[in-house]
Amino acid sequence: MGAYPIPSEFEARTNATYEALMWALSRPGLPRDLPSAGQAGIIETLIDRECAVYCEDADMAELAARSGAVLAAPEKADHLFLSQPPAQLTGLRQGSDMYPEEGATLVMPVSLGSGGTLRLSGPGVNGEVTLSLSGIPQGFWAERTRVMRYPMGFEVFLLDGATVIGIPRTTVVEVL
Amino acid sequence: MAYVATRGGERAIEQSQRLFREEMGTITAERVAEIRRALPYLIDRVMGEASLYDEDLAALALAQTGGELYEAVLLLRSWRTTQPRLAVAAPVTQEGLFTHRRISAAFKDIPGGQVLGPTLDYAHRILATEVLSDQAYTPDPVEPAAQPSPARQPSVAAWQAENDLLSAAPADPTAGNDIPDITREPLLFPSKRAHTLQSLARAETGGVLALGYAAQRGYGQAHPTVNELRLAEGEVMVQHPRGTTFSAGRVKISQAEVVNKKGTQLELGFAATLGWNEVKVIAAATLDLNSEGAAKGSATEEEFFLYHTEGVESSGFCIHFKLPHYVTFQSSLDAMRDAKTKKNARQAEPAE
Amino acid sequence: MSLKSLTKDWEPMSYGFLDASAKCEIRRKTLKAIAVPGCQIPYASREVPMARGWGTGGLQISCTLINPRTTVKVIDQGADDSVNAASIRRFLSRVSGAPTTTDTLKADLIQSRHRIPEEKLREDQVLVLQVPNPEPLRPVQPNMSIARQMHADADYGRMWLQLYEQIVRSGRVMQGASYPSLVHGRFVMTPSPIPRWDVPKMHMAKHLTILSAGREKRLHAVPPYTRVEPLVFDDVPYQVEEHGQLTCTRSGAKGYFMNEIPQNDGTSTYEVSDSELGIKTIQKADGDTVELGDTWYQDGEMTQ
Repeated sequence: MGAYPIPSEFEARTNATYEALMWALSRPGLPRDLPSAGQAGIIETLIDRECAVYCEDADMAELAARSGAVLAAPEKADHLFLSQPPAQLTGLRQGSDMYPEEGATLVMPVSLGSGGTLRLSGPGVNGEVTLSLSGIPQGFWAERTRVMRYPMGFEVFLLDGATVIGIPRTTVVEVL
Repeated sequence: MAYVATRGGERAIEQSQRLFREEMGTITAERVAEIRRALPYLIDRVMGEASLYDEDLAALALAQTGGELYEAVLLLRSWRTTQPRLAVAAPVTQEGLFTHRRISAAFKDIPGGQVLGPTLDYAHRILATEVLSDQAYTPDPVEPAAQPSPARQPSVAAWQAENDLLSAAPADPTAGNDIPDITREPLLFPSKRAHTLQSLARAETGGVLALGYAAQRGYGQAHPTVNELRLAEGEVMVQHPRGTTFSAGRVKISQAEVVNKKGTQLELGFAATLGWNEVKVIAAATLDLNSEGAAKGSATEEEFFLYHTEGVESSGFCIHFKLPHYVTFQSSLDAMRDAKTKKNARQAEPAE
Repeated sequence: MSLKSLTKDWEPMSYGFLDASAKCEIRRKTLKAIAVPGCQIPYASREVPMARGWGTGGLQISCTLINPRTTVKVIDQGADDSVNAASIRRFLSRVSGAPTTTDTLKADLIQSRHRIPEEKLREDQVLVLQVPNPEPLRPVQPNMSIARQMHADADYGRMWLQLYEQIVRSGRVMQGASYPSLVHGRFVMTPSPIPRWDVPKMHMAKHLTILSAGREKRLHAVPPYTRVEPLVFDDVPYQVEEHGQLTCTRSGAKGYFMNEIPQNDGTSTYEVSDSELGIKTIQKADGDTVELGDTWYQDGEMTQ
């Protein structure tokens, strides 16, 4: 074996996307930059034929299906690519006490920088962090707290263009 | 402290590999071809344990490792990791197998007949030492039977099920991509049926034999009768994206059914693997037969035998003990010495 | 659709060795591991070109994270020059073209077996620990299915009982390395066989730790700023190895975890286990310009 391998564009993109997602979830509330705007990059980074995916956008659904993933109803999906926050959270997959990792991952759009203020604390947060965003209805966060019983739960990635914020199930979210 | 110690480590590694490889010398295509031709049963064993069916790659792995079987299997398994999956083949059924050898110990004769096929079972195991004094050994040619035995035959268990001696397992409609795949999902318990059979299929032959033998000797609850042992070839049928179905080739397959009387019914144990490896499938089918209801922690319990017959994992863990462990050892020494000091101090205290 | 549209151009080896679907799975499982700190997440664990038990779990994480700009450090028993560390470092560089370093401060990604470096890790660094046995309950329950149920029920009574019995019998907790620790108040995890000395470094650390067992097919994680508490009784405090007062005979470094070197006369000398820290200490004494980072321990005492 001679020269070092060079990553393909696909490899470079998915590698960078994953790095952003990993740090977003490790440091809840701190924005990270994705290599490209939108959900497509996240789909190609995380989704393959082992996944059951719910996509609201038809193009995203096609992209997910091309990876071999099964398109599924929201309550069956392990990954949900949403065009707006879900109407209700009770039906989402939360895993079990035995297998909490089977809880869903939600990706949904928000507008960062203006709107209501949230205060986050929990693992990954040094003390507390506040952020302002709009696009999430009143009551979403309280509902999230109500339906999840740790270690069961689901993860949320908030997407604004090419900026992503991660909210794992361990994060305590207060609406200020 | 040596500033260049890092390079020292790398040099030592390089030279240790050279020492190992020096003994095998130059590997040529001819050598690989000769290994493939001369050692088909070894090739089969390696392909089965690697769960990768390619005789040339298996022969290459044997050449490259000098026949260190654990290394050869690991080499093939890690090569397998790099290969994309293009399609899932159609299921191969027992009655669809192109059968070379099929015997039953349960009946004197069976529908389709006892087909002895290639075996050394009744050979006298005598070394052909004349070869060493330069007298080539050429086996006597096979004389074809007047009536060839049928190439495709039903399983013995199917006949038993028809005669209400055995309740056949309900047909599993899972197909294609939906069949759980042990190479893409972790093994969890209770194990999915597909995972159990796949794990046994790629288990290490010696490990399966040791635990299967323990069960046969009496550490299992069921005494196996070989209902059917079959060496065969299976057609790998895949679908082209355009919709046509075609054969991608044939693979050698071994399979065993073993049965045990339980009340008024027979219970069935089953195993199959890539390549011809009779010992492995009989031992594995014995484990399968014994697993239902086995006590936690016993050698016939699924978790116990599936974990401990995984050859790449067990051999890797075994040799990992060669790695330095002086940090953990130091940590234990510290606790030991402190406990000893405390104990001495307690003994030195005057009795109240 | 043609067969070709489903495949990609042939490559002798994928970038970073693992193919796209293996990386996809590891990414998904690692995200969940971060979301449920200390919980063992099962994963398929592909075979890699090293034997199981030789760091294949850590390697799969590193191979997924690595890119040509990732500066990688690999240590085994604290040392960069250990043969297996050298082997893994060479493999990572060979499959990715990533630059390597022995300097903890310069590394983006540190793969380690049995140690956490003495210099403090930063918020932008990832520590990947190789794990032989991911199940802290194994000494009290070797069956993984039952152990999983015990984690589900947060049923750690037998774990506590074992520690209690050790104190009664030996006057102290006899656990050497791999000290069982409670993560975010919920899951008991093994911190991997790091010495007790290193466990407090994980508590509310700035860096991300990913622990991966390739042979046992489980991974778990400790995100930054997460509680990691060794299991102790209120009246029997946690005890690290008594290395705080030892001095390295080669570098003069004092107050760090040491390797004991038996001598012919029956005594022992000590060498600092973090080999790079030893080298830096010597370089500094020689008057070279060298950046020695903040260390978790100062004068043999844990700070933070």
